[in-house]
This record gives sequence, structure tokens and C-alpha cells, in this order.
Amino acid sequence: MVNSKSGDQVIGARLLAVTLVAACLILSAGCTTNVEVKGSLPTPLVKKLPLNMGVYYPPEFRNFTHREKIFEQGTWTVDMGTQNLEFFRNMFAAMFDQVVEIQDLDIPSGDEVGTGTVSVPENLDGIIIPEIAKYGFLTPKISGLNFFSASIHYRISIYDKTGNLAVNWVVVGYGKSPTSMFGSSEALNDATILAIRDGGARIAIGTFQHPAVLKWLRANNIALD
Amino acid sequence: MKLRLTHILLLSLLISLAGCVTSRVEQLRQSNTGMAADEALVILGRANYSEFETEESFTDCIVSALSRGSNPLNLVSEDDFKDQLYPWFEARTAPTSADDLARLFAQPGVSDQIENTKIRYLAWIDGQTVTTDQGGGITCTISAAGGGCFGMSYWEEDASYEASIWDLKTLSNAGQIVADANGTSYLAGLVIPIPILARPGNAACKALAAQLKIFLLDTPE
Repeated sequence: MVNSKSGDQVIGARLLAVTLVAACLILSAGCTTNVEVKGSLPTPLVKKLPLNMGVYYPPEFRNFTHREKIFEQGTWTVDMGTQNLEFFRNMFAAMFDQVVEIQDLDIPSGDEVGTGTVSVPENLDGIIIPEIAKYGFLTPKISGLNFFSASIHYRISIYDKTGNLAVNWVVVGYGKSPTSMFGSSEALNDATILAIRDGGARIAIGTFQHPAVLKWLRANNIALD
Repeated sequence: MKLRLTHILLLSLLISLAGCVTSRVEQLRQSNTGMAADEALVILGRANYSEFETEESFTDCIVSALSRGSNPLNLVSEDDFKDQLYPWFEARTAPTSADDLARLFAQPGVSDQIENTKIRYLAWIDGQTVTTDQGGGITCTISAAGGGCFGMSYWEEDASYEASIWDLKTLSNAGQIVADANGTSYLAGLVIPIPILARPGNAACKALAAQLKIFLLDTPE
């Protein structure tokens, strides 16, 4: 009888321990939302410019991760690395005749057009550098709306043949996605993918309409139809 | 046998409890249409950055209705279409009028892509279902002796959608179809909560899809 009681107590203690561990796991999972951005990012159908461009992707761009702690909503981590980088590789390959990826470059700190110099190899018409200046998102709890929204501020810098900054352009990509039954991370992923697509669309179309780009093209004797 | 009879009676009761929906469809034709067997249609939901935009579930419903029944249409999925023609049909860059089609087709690769996919028509779906009124109340209680829900609540919904059909062969607007539906749903608490649902969104979808099929196949009503 005594043995039986202590056996029940052991089982009870084990059940309590399992319940506590499960509760801890559920609570800790609820406190962190990880999003590894994945989705459809196609290559744009745009006119190719007859330019031989160098492209430098800074390490922060290659491995961009956003971390944010939101009051009562835990910590959010959005990893854009691979998808964003592959998208830009395809996009620039579609926009220019030849693209050479530059592995290392010292970027000057100034961001005023006409200032700063980078070393541009002789065979290149210029160097283009994409950066993520800012990433932000809103949850439905913050915005009071029934969707997640994300925005990405891309900075596009183009250095001309002589190494001077010819274009400094900030493009904002925006995306929103309704709250999903599959969870917050899926909705934020979709909103971020739409923001990348939107930013990319503006870069792919707007680059050849931007006054500073047109001035730079004229300086290179390239006329757009 | 008794159980089956109960099931049939319960099913009949639920069917009879479906809420009433009033719907209306109008069509404006601007040119003759018609689809060859190998030609396709793409349904696009009009997206914008405001709180309201065409629900994906509504365009999915239209696609489902058009691809079934008699004379099913060839449909290209919205996602595939937007990917194949990226960046020209994103929320910010999509043409807002059929007059923009000529300019769009002048872009490199666009007309080839459309030709490859054999898309003849593009239908933009714009609209939403909104709750226009609601009221009443229902309370549910649970106690050791049992529990139940009592009271009645209602909500009225209005579904208003427009399809703008563009002919990609003639690069022009072929016409518009407007579908409106409204209905009131109830939730009655008679010990158990009994929903009496009107589904104006579903009614608008079915009406719009049926009219769109007639419009495209150029079959007289």
C-alpha cells in the first residue's frame, strides 16, 4: 500500500515536470518569432542597358537580419539574406549587358552626389552598390489593422567610371499581408517578400527614369529610346 | 434508420436556415468578345495600399467557378502571371486603364510573354465585402448544472465587386460587369447557438463568374 502511494507520487511528480517543461517550451516559443524570408522573387522583364557594370554587395546587405523586441509581443527576427541577394543578382543581370560582382570595396562615407571616390576597374562603366538603409514592420496589434506590413528602404549608389558618386537614390519597398491562420511568421514573410518585390520593381523601372541616372547615362553617351 | 432520419431532418433544417441574399448583376459591353479553345484568361485582384482591397478568397472563388461547370475556361494563375510579367503587374506598377496597355506592350519581352501564355483576356476584380450594420447580443453560460446560449445577434453584409475585362489582342477595354449582393446573417442562441448565415460574398462571386463566362464566350443571354 505504501509502495503503491509512493509510485503514484512519482508518476504525479513526473507528470508535473513534463507539464512544466511543455509550458516553458510553449511560452519561450511564443516569445520569439523567427522569419527566414522565402518566396517568389522573379527576374524583371526590362530593357538591358549596354553597360559593363560592377556590383558590390556589402556584407550587411548579403546577410541582412533585422531584430526587434516589441512590448508584449516578444522578439522578432527577420532574416532576408539569401533571397534578397539572389533577387538583386538576377535583377542587375537583367538590367545591364554585363555584370561583374566585386568582392571587396572601400566605400567612402560621404553620400553627396559628386563626392567620394571608389576605385573602378578600367573595364567597367561604373559600380552599383545596393544597401538596406532601413527595414521596419508593423503587426496588427500595433497598427490596429488586420494585416502585417513591412517596408524596406534600399539605398542605390552608382559610382561613375572616374569613381565619383553619380547617383544616390533611396527607394522604399512596401508590402502587406493579411493575418494568416498559419501564424504571424508566415504573414510577415509574405509582407516582406512583397516589400522586396515592390522595391525591386521601383529600382528596375525607375532607375532608367531617375534624373541623376539619365545624367550619368548621357555622360556615358548612352541614349535611352 | 431512426438515426438517418434524424440526420436528414437536421440537414434540412440547416439548409432552410440559410439567410436570404439579394443580388444584382449589370453588364456593360464595349466590344465583341469570344475565346478560342487554346486562349486563356487571367483573373487579377486589384491591390492597393489601403486597408481595403479585393480579398484573395474572392478571386479564388471566381477562378474556381470559371474553371468548372459547362464550358470551363482556360485560366492562368494570378501568381504565375505576375511572376512572368514582373515588374509590370505589381500593386504600384500595374496599369490602371486599358489605355496603358499599348505602352506596356512596348516594353521588352512583354508581348512575347503574353503570346507564349496565350492569354487573351485579363479581368481585374475590384471590390470588397463589408459589414454595414450589426446588433443584438447573445450570452453563453456554463455551470455545474449545465449551460447554454440565449439571445440573438445579427450582422448585415454588403458585397460589391466590379470586373473590368481587357482584351489583350486588341489592347482595349472589352467591358465591365458589376455584381452587388447583400444579406443579413443571424446567430440565434436557443440553448445551442444556431447560425443562420447569408453569404453575400459567395452570391456575388457566383453571379459575377456566371456573367463573366457568358460575356467572354459571347453567348447571348
